[in-house]
Amino acid sequence: MHDGSGRIAVQNLTKQFGTVPAVQNLSFAVEPGSVTGFLGPNGAGKTTTLRMLLGLVTPTSGAATINGRPYTQLGNPARVVGSVLENEGFHAKRTARNHLRVYAAAIGVPDQRVDEMLGLVGLASAADRPAGGYSLGMRQRLSLATALLGDPQVLVLDEPSNGLDPEGIAWLRGFLQSFAKQGRTVLVSSHLLSEVEQMIDQVVIVSAGMTRYYGPLEQLRASQQSRVLVQPADANALVTALREAGVGEVQPAHDGRVAVANANVQQIGDAAAKAGVAVYGMEEEKADLEQLFFQMTSPQYAGGPLPPQQPVPQQPVPQQPVPPQQQPPGPPQQPPGPPPGFQQGPQPGQPQNPYQAPGYQQPGQQGQQGWGGGQ
Amino acid sequence: MGNLIKAEMRKIVTTKSWWALLIPAFFASLLFALGWGAFTNSLANVLDSEDTLTVTRTLGIETGELPMGLLAIGHGINVGLLFAVILGVLAVAGEYSKKTITTTFLTAPNRPMALGAKMITYSIWGALYGLAVSAAASLGIAFVVDGARMPSSGQWLAVIGTSLLAGVLATLFGVGVGALWKSVAGSVVTLSIYMLLIENVWVFISYGLWQENVAWMGGVLPNGTLNGIVGAIGAEAFGAAGVRIPGLQDEAVWGLQFSAGAPGAFSWWASALIFFGWTMVVFVGGWLVNQKRDIT
Ligand SMILES: Nc1ncnc2c1ncn2[C@@H]1O[C@H](COP(=O)(O)OP(=O)(O)O)[C@@H](O)[C@H]1O
Ligand SMILES: [Mg+2]
Repeated sequence: MHDGSGRIAVQNLTKQFGTVPAVQNLSFAVEPGSVTGFLGPNGAGKTTTLRMLLGLVTPTSGAATINGRPYTQLGNPARVVGSVLENEGFHAKRTARNHLRVYAAAIGVPDQRVDEMLGLVGLASAADRPAGGYSLGMRQRLSLATALLGDPQVLVLDEPSNGLDPEGIAWLRGFLQSFAKQGRTVLVSSHLLSEVEQMIDQVVIVSAGMTRYYGPLEQLRASQQSRVLVQPADANALVTALREAGVGEVQPAHDGRVAVANANVQQIGDAAAKAGVAVYGMEEEKADLEQLFFQMTSPQYAGGPLPPQQPVPQQPVPQQPVPPQQQPPGPPQQPPGPPPGFQQGPQPGQPQNPYQAPGYQQPGQQGQQGWGGGQ
Repeated sequence: MGNLIKAEMRKIVTTKSWWALLIPAFFASLLFALGWGAFTNSLANVLDSEDTLTVTRTLGIETGELPMGLLAIGHGINVGLLFAVILGVLAVAGEYSKKTITTTFLTAPNRPMALGAKMITYSIWGALYGLAVSAAASLGIAFVVDGARMPSSGQWLAVIGTSLLAGVLATLFGVGVGALWKSVAGSVVTLSIYMLLIENVWVFISYGLWQENVAWMGGVLPNGTLNGIVGAIGAEAFGAAGVRIPGLQDEAVWGLQFSAGAPGAFSWWASALIFFGWTMVVFVGGWLVNQKRDIT
């Protein structure tokens, strides 16, 4: 049986679809207790990787394990791993409740869990409508409800915010963070860093089927040089002064300002004062993660080496994924108990359940009801 | 496995396919039993009188009391069972077309168990279809076949029993084809055309060309063997399948079998065995393909 660690390990995973190299020698590990973002542009191989992890696609080579086991050896896998996949299907004529009842039976959880999950994701009032009439966002909620039926320890989500309204995205963020805080594992893919930036702790960045960065998001942020934009009276004099004082590196700036890297406001101010150059303003430019992400994943860098100042492109990976067989057996961690309020069904008296998703908007009626669950 | 079977049952009863196919199955059986019953009721006149005498003498029944209803009931059931095949196709191919196969595989311990649960669940539904179409066909012949030519209660029970068996196997055959070829439309259209037209025409033409040299043809092909499970009961009653009656001309034998919807059928159990073989061929094929198929 699996080791109950809640750990996801992807080891030299490769998938070739005919002549298309969808995933190439990908390795990373996801630890419990954190939300890991799996980022990359469209076609980077995220979906293929997640589907290999879930046993839906057979790898050309390499292995992906959850709790030290391939998905198909987890026993009753939906009790260990919940998954929300892109392009997941629902029978158009089957109601959401019946959809969940089918899979509750397959997993072997009681039917009452169905109502609890419907309440949790805010679909209680739409539960008896056929899923074919659902909006994209409602389908995502139903997918999430299906994923959570088995009260899993690990949650894998492929672009879960697609189609969700801002309220839904905010709710999902909070939900995934609290899920991870209970010591569970969350792996969430996205093609937009900004969409997941606020909820992830760890990040795996892929492009063209290869790993570009893998490690804590904080480290990625810190590794990005911050610059100071200075507005001097005489730009040439300032540049000369900085050079003479050996402060920072001047970079080209376009708007008449001088951009200085590797120096702080104080150092620049002192150097300017010493040289008698008037400075009218200074602005610290924050590390722009989005731009960094774009650089790491943009096509011109695909396959080739990244610019030297880039943080950790291929190998300097902070946490080396441990192959499952080398993993110390260790005491199998108790599967985390149900979080408070997590398993509770929607109580009519408390619609403000903190885990309650905002409900979908009821068409043309009771606009302020808005928050699902409380019928 | 119990969990997965329960899930499969819920899948079936929460959509309308099962009755949307059962209703036409029922009426197709009823109509064919009516039509074929009216035709076979007067078949005795069409048959060579020498053969008729041989048959009746050997079977010890009076002329005019041939259990013509048996021929029609078999034919009616066989037509209705096409819908059981289609129900079976939906089991796996239907899930591919709705993309629910992803969740089905994700919530099962492994793919063989998911397919195994479908096999068991759809067997039960196949038996139900077999029962329904045999009831429809029985009703059909009751309207048009003379009382004296109705099957005996023993023959009738044999028909019901073989119809249940044929329903199970027909459904499993559909499950296998749908697992092998994940297209619902492709599988259904191809199977319908093949079973209603191509194989029948081929068996008929080849018999016209090579006569009794290829009389076995209908007894080994999928549609022929499926039809033979029930049809052979009717043909056997005339000595045209199973126990061979001496003196009965080969053409007449084949004609009787054809009337029962089972040209070339050997016997009900031989037909069942051979058709089971066909079912296993597609089922094992579908099984293997699904083991490796990437769900993207
Ligand atoms: N079933 C398939 N057959 C052929 N190519 C595929 C298939 N699935 C994905 N691909 C290709 O593999 C690459 C990675 O796709 P995907 O994993 O969906 O990327 P992402 O989810 O990051 O957008 C793409 O080039 C895509 O066209
Ligand atoms: Mg994708």
